[in-house]
Amino acid sequence: MKTKNNEALKENCLEKTTWKERYGHWPWYRRYEFILVSFLALIAFGFALPRPGLPETLFQWLFIVFYLLLFLVWAGLILIDVEKPNWIKAIAATLILSLFGWLFYRYSGAQWDKLGYAFFNWKVLSETGSYGSTVTGWAELFQGLLITLQIAIFSAIFGTILGLFLAVFRSLNDPILNAFIIIWVDFFRAMPIIVLMMIIYYALPYLNITLSSTVSGIMALSLNSSAYISEIFRAGIESIHHNQVEAARSLGLTTMQTMRLVILPQAMRVVMPPLTSNYVAMLKDTAICSSIAIMELLKTAITLQAWKANPTPLVAATIIYLIILLPLARISTVLENKMKSKGITRSIRRQPKAA
Amino acid sequence: MGEERQVMIETIDLHKYFKDQHVLKGISVKIYKGEVVAIIGPSGAGKSTFLRCINRLEEPSSGKIYIEGVDITSPRVDMNKIRSEIGFVFQSYNLFPHLTAIENIKLAPVHVRKIPEKEAEQKGLELLKKVGLEDKAHAYPDQLSGGQQQRVAIARALAMQPHMIFFDEPTSALDPEMIREVLDVMQNLAAEGMTMLVVSHELGFIREAATRVLVLADGCVIEEGLPRQLFNNPQHPRTKEFLSKIL
Ligand SMILES: Nc1ncnc2c1ncn2[C@@H]1O[C@H](COP(=O)(O)OP(=O)(O)OP(=O)(O)O)[C@@H](O)[C@H]1O
Ligand SMILES: [Mg+2]
Repeated sequence: MKTKNNEALKENCLEKTTWKERYGHWPWYRRYEFILVSFLALIAFGFALPRPGLPETLFQWLFIVFYLLLFLVWAGLILIDVEKPNWIKAIAATLILSLFGWLFYRYSGAQWDKLGYAFFNWKVLSETGSYGSTVTGWAELFQGLLITLQIAIFSAIFGTILGLFLAVFRSLNDPILNAFIIIWVDFFRAMPIIVLMMIIYYALPYLNITLSSTVSGIMALSLNSSAYISEIFRAGIESIHHNQVEAARSLGLTTMQTMRLVILPQAMRVVMPPLTSNYVAMLKDTAICSSIAIMELLKTAITLQAWKANPTPLVAATIIYLIILLPLARISTVLENKMKSKGITRSIRRQPKAA
Repeated sequence: MGEERQVMIETIDLHKYFKDQHVLKGISVKIYKGEVVAIIGPSGAGKSTFLRCINRLEEPSSGKIYIEGVDITSPRVDMNKIRSEIGFVFQSYNLFPHLTAIENIKLAPVHVRKIPEKEAEQKGLELLKKVGLEDKAHAYPDQLSGGQQQRVAIARALAMQPHMIFFDEPTSALDPEMIREVLDVMQNLAAEGMTMLVVSHELGFIREAATRVLVLADGCVIEEGLPRQLFNNPQHPRTKEFLSKIL
């Protein structure tokens, strides 16, 4: 009796029954025919909207607001319908957002053409670039991007190696070494990168140490990130339980073997997410290299902007930065989430099981 | 039982302080080849500390420790070499969670003994078979039950072909039904003549396998003897009190 009840309950709760399965048809306002026809009607209705430019009468304002509300109701019908597939909802949401944008564009009274001429004047970039250049502005920006990436990659490599060494030496708990490392880490974390870069590039030559601007830039970024990265690795190393060290040492492994074979492989899991977001931050910090005249992406854009007397190159550089940084930022979030869920499944698994 | 038996471990007046807490108060014992010595005593008596001092996971504060005649408190001794010849099995297994069972076992032979990978793998599989886990070679520690993990840990210790093995409460973190499988492995080892130093309160195991029992209380060895003699007829009042609690 009880099991039968349970099964009935299960059927009611777990089996997905749609409106359509229950009643044989959708209600009229949820049918695709209605949605499509009402959409076409709204589009047609749109041709009756006032002309572009700031509306003059209250009636025109009310008309625009009414139109917006109608569209909102239309999109709302789709969005709140739990049984509609997600892609249709995505389309509805995109449409309603575009409508907002379009209405703003049409009636805000802003001088769009002038704005476009100033900030989105792509022609500026397809002409030959700055003074004496034989290639287009786009090609120059691409050159700049390559230099940005080059600086970022070298800084990431040196910063990681340096940071790893600092963290490993820190774990030896030698008081003198520790004092040195703490000073190093605090100093380079406190020091603004731009100041560090200027000191290396402009002040070191007085000590007879002359470095090229690119080397100075890489050096400043590496030193700065070594401080952060060593802290990340230190946290990773310290997150590994001490009994792992004891197990390794009791087998006769040396301190360094223990670090390399037992501690670091386990710490890597903890370290990956913050390390990735650190790399993202460093890629952004390469823009500081423009202050010592390295022709990286930002500096190239600034030069082009000055030469053309138009800020479009800066907008282009912004877009390029975003194209590269957005996926990286995404990856670091994904890694972090993966890490978290892993932590959870692990603790679940570790609970005693029935033998 | 002649006088010529080889001494594996000898401690002379071993002391250990944690800050100003006096944990070991002058322990002098001799352990011979092939002996299975059980160490019992109340919690906080210093049993773990004693084991850990002998392979210097903890630095002894004063006293002498000889392992197979070598004074390991001397600063010139190669402690990694000594440790590689002493197996250590922990209460919490301490397997390396990022490595599979077989990788756990062959890690030290490959990197400390420099045995070729293939050969170490072969040996490792044999050891897994010996502890009854040949089908779990490629399982990660968190896919194994506590008893299975502890048996892998024993195999890992055996892979270094140690001259002696220390067990620090190897079964006290286990569910009752898994204790037997670990004790069986230990009993087989004892029967093969392995020198073992076992901190444990498994009286059944001690009765069957131990050749001698040390009672540690407040950092001193207060009594020692054969298991049956000691359990049936304890001399020291603290031993009596302790035994009455666990029997
Ligand atoms: N690393 C340490 N730092 C400070 N004190 C410690 C440390 N390890 C152990 N002690 C102290 O030394 C004393 C003996 O500890 P030990 O672990 O050797 O006892 P035990 O006999 O193994 O007890 P149990 O049966 O609970 O394992 C305890 O009072 C403990 O608090
Ligand atoms: Mg203990």
